[in-house]
Amino acid sequence: MVRFMACQHTTPALGGINAAAGVVPRPVTAKSRLPRAGHVESAGVSTVTADQVPSLSGWRNYVRNLWRWREFGWFLAMGNLKARNASTSLGLVWWMLNPLIMAAVYFLVFGLILGGRRGEPQFIAWLLSGVFAFNYTATAMTSGANSILANRRLLVNIRFPRLILPISAVIETGVGFLMSITVYYLIVWPADGVSPGVTLLWLPAAVALHTVFNLGLAGWTARLAIPFRDINNLMPHLTRLWLYLSPIIWPLSFLRDRGGLVEDLAVLNPMYGILSFYRMALMGRDLDTGAFVLALLWTLLIGGGGILSFVRHEGNMVRHL
Amino acid sequence: MRAARSPQAIRVNGVGVRYRSYVDRASTFRRVVARRRLRQTTTVVALEDVSFEVEWGETMGLVGDNGAGKSTLLRVIARTMRPDSGSVVVNGETSTLLQLGAGFNHELSGRRNVYLSGLAHGLARAEVARLFDAIVAYAELGEAIDRPIKSYSSGMVSRLAFSISIHLLPDILLLDEVLAVGDAGFRKKSQAAMRELLGQGGAVMVASHVLSGMAEMCDRVLWLERGRVRDLGPAEAVIEAYGRASPSAPR
Repeated sequence: MVRFMACQHTTPALGGINAAAGVVPRPVTAKSRLPRAGHVESAGVSTVTADQVPSLSGWRNYVRNLWRWREFGWFLAMGNLKARNASTSLGLVWWMLNPLIMAAVYFLVFGLILGGRRGEPQFIAWLLSGVFAFNYTATAMTSGANSILANRRLLVNIRFPRLILPISAVIETGVGFLMSITVYYLIVWPADGVSPGVTLLWLPAAVALHTVFNLGLAGWTARLAIPFRDINNLMPHLTRLWLYLSPIIWPLSFLRDRGGLVEDLAVLNPMYGILSFYRMALMGRDLDTGAFVLALLWTLLIGGGGILSFVRHEGNMVRHL
Repeated sequence: MRAARSPQAIRVNGVGVRYRSYVDRASTFRRVVARRRLRQTTTVVALEDVSFEVEWGETMGLVGDNGAGKSTLLRVIARTMRPDSGSVVVNGETSTLLQLGAGFNHELSGRRNVYLSGLAHGLARAEVARLFDAIVAYAELGEAIDRPIKSYSSGMVSRLAFSISIHLLPDILLLDEVLAVGDAGFRKKSQAAMRELLGQGGAVMVASHVLSGMAEMCDRVLWLERGRVRDLGPAEAVIEAYGRASPSAPR
């Protein structure tokens, strides 16, 4: 029915436009018409009211719209991926180099100077897997927070499912992460003798779980950064604290030596299980099942909660911009 | 055909929008905490109890002083903003809202912005590619399309924005102060395009604080004053009344 209505309108307003521009008029089919967006809509009628609680059918509609806008999300992500270091001579290589340099600094300070490598025979492989994975989360959080503000002009003028923006931020950082991880074995094989094994088949699952988790986080930071711009100032400190609290720059034996409450509480950190999953895939380590189950729960909670909270508030975003 | 389905293009019913006063600047933790403590509830009323209808084939003008709520009203109708009270029913399948500087990323080239804008409207990439040449030709941009938008004149920006909007074939076109810029030639061309859209049974809303040309362009005019409907009626009469009440309004 919707399309039927659109078909009535196929003789385009462009006839005159093209003539004016000196271009041969071409038929524009119903397909090129704008699609409909938003929560509550049926057959070409859309209603906006003050209190719009997303219903189940509203959610189904929302997901359908997300799919319809997928090319927008991808275009935005790839554009930002290239633009981020467009003016540098190394360009995209920085996506690889940045976490590597970060890891090198940690290796120097925590591994060599502070002696953190004691108790972890494959310290470089340990550190690199941790830094790469954590960097994905940290950049996803930061880009998520920026995604709304950076696209404010689009938000004000054009209606589209807003969740596309944090999704696009996660795609951008996720592709950067995948680029960085390609060099992993080039470094850790000669350095620590860690070679790829069958466990590597788990890597896609680890990346998938981690991505859902990051999307939820990006949803939270995007939603909170609009009314509270302070989030952008807090973010680097929060991510740094989180990095230090996660088993990245220190080996697990460090925690075992502390024992007791500290060890028990450390497992509550969602990064704990996620990193354990990555290290099973990349280094063939044993999976810490307890921490892994906790990470799954965190992903449901943070991932699901972040997305829900974002979509619930997206109708009010424009007034804060 | 369309008229039989849904008599009005737009039905606005008792719409109200309030901004909290601190929202002028971004709110911070400190202000939020302060608000909780002092129970400050100062709000700015952007729109209050606004009701009207726009028929198919009609051009509705929107006049009022700065801060009268014109842009807010257009955003609510474009459904990029949810009202605090009331409802808006838009019967057209689609609408596009155009404001000065419209949704462009000024750092990016005109080409990338055309894609960004088209994709943000939900078109597929192939569809934007198909419309691309016509959009650039209509906007009369030529080679400039590959330069960043920040190097464009304001006339070029609004030409491109208008060209994109009209090529997306909206049922309802919402224009916010965009026709004031641009040269006379392009104004004539854009008005011809709008007439064509209206001839197809679409609807247009034009907000402007420049009154010249509004009377010829619009069928009816809505006069907003501090977020409320002050007057709604035939274009000539309302514009004359508004002109008398605000002698400062540019003609």
